[in-house]
Formats: sequence, C-alpha cells, structure tokens
Amino acid sequence: MEKYVFSASPHIKSPRTTRGIMIDVCIAMLPACIMGCILFGWQALITLVVATLAAVLSEIVYRLCAGVKFQTILKEFDFTSVVTGMLVGMNMPAGIAVYVPILASIFAIVVVKMLFGGTGKNLVNPAIAGRIFAFMSFAMAMTTYPAALIGSLNGGAITDASGAVVSGATPLSALLGSNSSTLSNLDLFLGTGVGGVIGETCKAALILGGIYLVIRKVLNFRWPIVYVAVTGLVTVALNGFDFNVFLPSILSGGLILGAVFMATDFVTTPNTKLGNYIYFVVLGALTAVLRHFTGGEVVSFAILFMNLLVSIIDKYVYPRPFGFVKAKKEAK
Amino acid sequence: MKIKDIALDGVVRQNPTLRLVLGTCPTLAVTTVAFDSFGMGLAVTFVLICSNIIISLLRNIIPDQVRIPAFIMIIATFVTIVEMVIKKFVPDLYASLGNFLALIVVNCIILGRAEGFASKNPVGYSALDGLFMGIGFTLALTIMGSFREILSKGSIFGLQIWDASKFSISFFGTSAGAFLTYGLFIAVFTVCYNAVENKSRHKLGVDVSVKEEA
Repeated sequence: MEKYVFSASPHIKSPRTTRGIMIDVCIAMLPACIMGCILFGWQALITLVVATLAAVLSEIVYRLCAGVKFQTILKEFDFTSVVTGMLVGMNMPAGIAVYVPILASIFAIVVVKMLFGGTGKNLVNPAIAGRIFAFMSFAMAMTTYPAALIGSLNGGAITDASGAVVSGATPLSALLGSNSSTLSNLDLFLGTGVGGVIGETCKAALILGGIYLVIRKVLNFRWPIVYVAVTGLVTVALNGFDFNVFLPSILSGGLILGAVFMATDFVTTPNTKLGNYIYFVVLGALTAVLRHFTGGEVVSFAILFMNLLVSIIDKYVYPRPFGFVKAKKEAK
Repeated sequence: MKIKDIALDGVVRQNPTLRLVLGTCPTLAVTTVAFDSFGMGLAVTFVLICSNIIISLLRNIIPDQVRIPAFIMIIATFVTIVEMVIKKFVPDLYASLGNFLALIVVNCIILGRAEGFASKNPVGYSALDGLFMGIGFTLALTIMGSFREILSKGSIFGLQIWDASKFSISFFGTSAGAFLTYGLFIAVFTVCYNAVENKSRHKLGVDVSVKEEA
C-alpha cells in the first residue's frame, strides 16, 4: 500500500521558480549594463544603481504599508522589481538628473505593478510604463543623449543638414531623415560612437543576453526574431523596397532592447502560439509604421499599446482542447 | 431631517466627485490648473442651488412623465445665465473652460440632485443641498487642480512656487495624469472615510473590524 500516495493536485512540480527566472533575466541584462557603463562612463552606473534601488525600495515600502511583515517580504522577494528597476535605468540617457530614474521606478512599481496586484497581475510592462511616464514628464531630459566615450571605429559621425557633427544624436534620427549618418553597421552593432539611452546602444551585449536567456529556456528565440524581422521588413517596404535600410533600421534605437527584454515579458504576452505570432507581427508592423510617420522612437509606445491588446488576443485565440473535433457543417 | 446631515452628505458622505463619481467629465478636463477648477466648481454650485430651488418649487406641478425634459429646461436656463456672466466678467476663465461650461447642462450631479433630492423635498432643504453638494464638488476639484498644477507647473493659483523649467512633472498636466490623479484621490478619500467610519462605529460599541487578524 505504501506505493500509493494520495495528494491533491498539482502532482508535477517544477524546480523553476519566479525568483530563479528573474535572476536569470538580471544576469542576461548585465552585459548590456556593463557595456553602457563602458560607453557612457560612471554616470551611467549611477543611473542604473539609483533606478534599481528605487524600484526595490518602493516595492518593500508599498508592501510594508499594505501590512505585510518585513520577514515575509524578504522571504517572498522575487527579483521582479530588480528587473524592472534595471530596465528603467537602461532606458534613461546617462547623466540624467537623479530624480528622473527614481520617479520612473516608483511609478513603474507602485502605480503599474503593485496597484494592479503585484507580480504577474500587471496589465502592461512596468518598465515600459515607467519609461513612458518619464518621457512624457521630462521630455527634454529624456531626449538629451550624451555622446559615447568611445568614438566610431571607422571615423563615421552623424551630421545635420548643414554638415555639422551632432554629438549624441541617435542613428535613428539619421534613418528617419532629420540627420545623415556615416556610421557603419558594425558601429551600430557595437554601440561605438552611437548616442542613445544606457542600455540600447550596444546590440552585441543585448543579443548575448538574449542568447543566455534562450539557453536557460527563459526566452523562446522565435519571438524577438519575429518582432525584429517584421519591423525591418516593413521598414524596407515603406522605403520603397530599399534593402540597404534593413540592417540600420533594426540596429538603431531601442528595438533590440525592446525585443529581447521588454516585449517578451511573460505577463504581458498572449498565452498561445498563434496569439504570440499575431502579437509580435502586429507589434513589428506597428513599430515600423509609427517610426516612419512620426519620425521618433516609438518602440516603447508600440509595446505599451500591444500590451493592452493582449487580453483581447487571448479572448479570441484559445488552444484547441485535447480531443476536440470541429463540428462539420451540415450539407444543405 | 437635519441641516447637519445635509451638509455632511454633500461635502463628505455623498461627495459628488469622490464618493458618487458623478461629473467626471469636467473633473478630468478642467482640473489642469487650480483656478479653472475653482471657477468650474463655483459655476456648478450656482447652477445647482438655483435649479434645486426652482425644481423644488415646481415639484408638485411638473407631471411625472415629462420631468426629465422639464429639469433639463430649468438647468439649461441657469447654465446660459452663468455662461453669459462669465463671458462678460471673467473672459480668461471663459476661454479656458470653453465647451465644458455649456456641458454643465448634462452634468450628472445637477440632474442627479434634481431627481434624487429637489423633486422630493421642500425649498429650504433643496437650496441647502445644492449649496453643500456644490461646496463638496468645488473642494474636490480645487484640491485636485492644485495637486496637478503644483506637480505639472510648479505653481498654485498662478503663483509660482519654484522654477518650473528646472523641475516639473508635466505628466500630471496631461489627460493620462488626470485619470491617475482622480484614481489616487478616490483611493485616498475612501481609505480616510472608511477609517473614520470604523472608528465612529467602534465608539458605539459595534465591532465591525474590516481587517482580519493576520
């Protein structure tokens, strides 16, 4: 009789925990953070640390206010606020006034995550909402990018209409027509001589982090690739099938950062495979089209918009129940 | 019925914006600065008092079947008066309130009080109800307007407190900020209200602790 164990479901337990996955995501973000600090100096480090601390502290303070004991908070601490804080920091230009990352992190954690019920209950990605909050509130500070400390490898630069070198301009402004750029694709890939927010310029580090997540089976490799490819192809189509813009369009701006770390958040993506295809294809098309017609960086706005559509996608796309046969239409 | 009850109902217990969630359209739209919110509150208060008095006087004459159109006619009359007065004497306020002044006609608070209170109660009480409801509305709007103005412009009633070009959260000046502010105010107000309510019930010896002992 001892062979039979009676217990309530669930019977299969996985050793994976939210905390473990989130620590993996933190590790995956480290290369991009380190490259940001190398490219933009110690000010980038301050911004990252301040954003992360503000996020963690606001979560703890919120839960203390909600009457949770401090020991319980420490025991249940699942590193999601660390991920959110790091992402908020990576979305800020280096050298920004300290209160911007603090306010963005507090907004992301308290308003977007905790008020909706905490980890796993948020409607939109907290980091994205935090970035957009900062972007709407401090537009000037958020779009003043410092120049990278390491210059372009082949001496390329971004110039405006009069031919003067614009320090700290993003390659996206060149792609969208307001400036012109002589940066090579290798520069864009490594982030050398490229202006932008801390985490987005070094694509190599972001892709490295993405590969780590795929190996650890945290991330499905399909979705970032679908998103990036669709954005690139739609941009090509919008530019009259000029395939020279394919690589610059996917290597400029925050597309890779958004694709690897922000659009693929578990909580704010659909549950089914078909749903995910719809989500990422529409997201990619939306990003490319909005970029083309607004002339600005829209990755965060596109992700925010699609996050809100996830519940609708999940309502209409649901998995086929096992053994379900579609009822045949009766012949007339 | 006591006057104290009417006053408490209007300002706290049935505060139109924060408890009944009526009149959200002007609340969200005009609370960008404190002065506009205060002006809006006063305009609504005036219309509320006058329409309550007239509707209360006519409550036995208006046939039940056509009461809503009749109420709207009375309200619209006073809104037109307010609009003309503001246009003549405070043109700045008229310019910034714009369409929302005319939209007081369809403001739920006024119609709600006409339907729920003035059409059933004598004139004196109806006038007081209009006054206190208006005070509740004005207070809520002015506090929200001040909050948003301080954060988004660094000023209050047009008085500059600090240099807005150095620090200002312009998010709170946008419509998304309006929704967030409104939600926060309702939440804070409800928490305070429940705390006070629980305390007064404890005083009476009735134990209704909402929070479970952990």
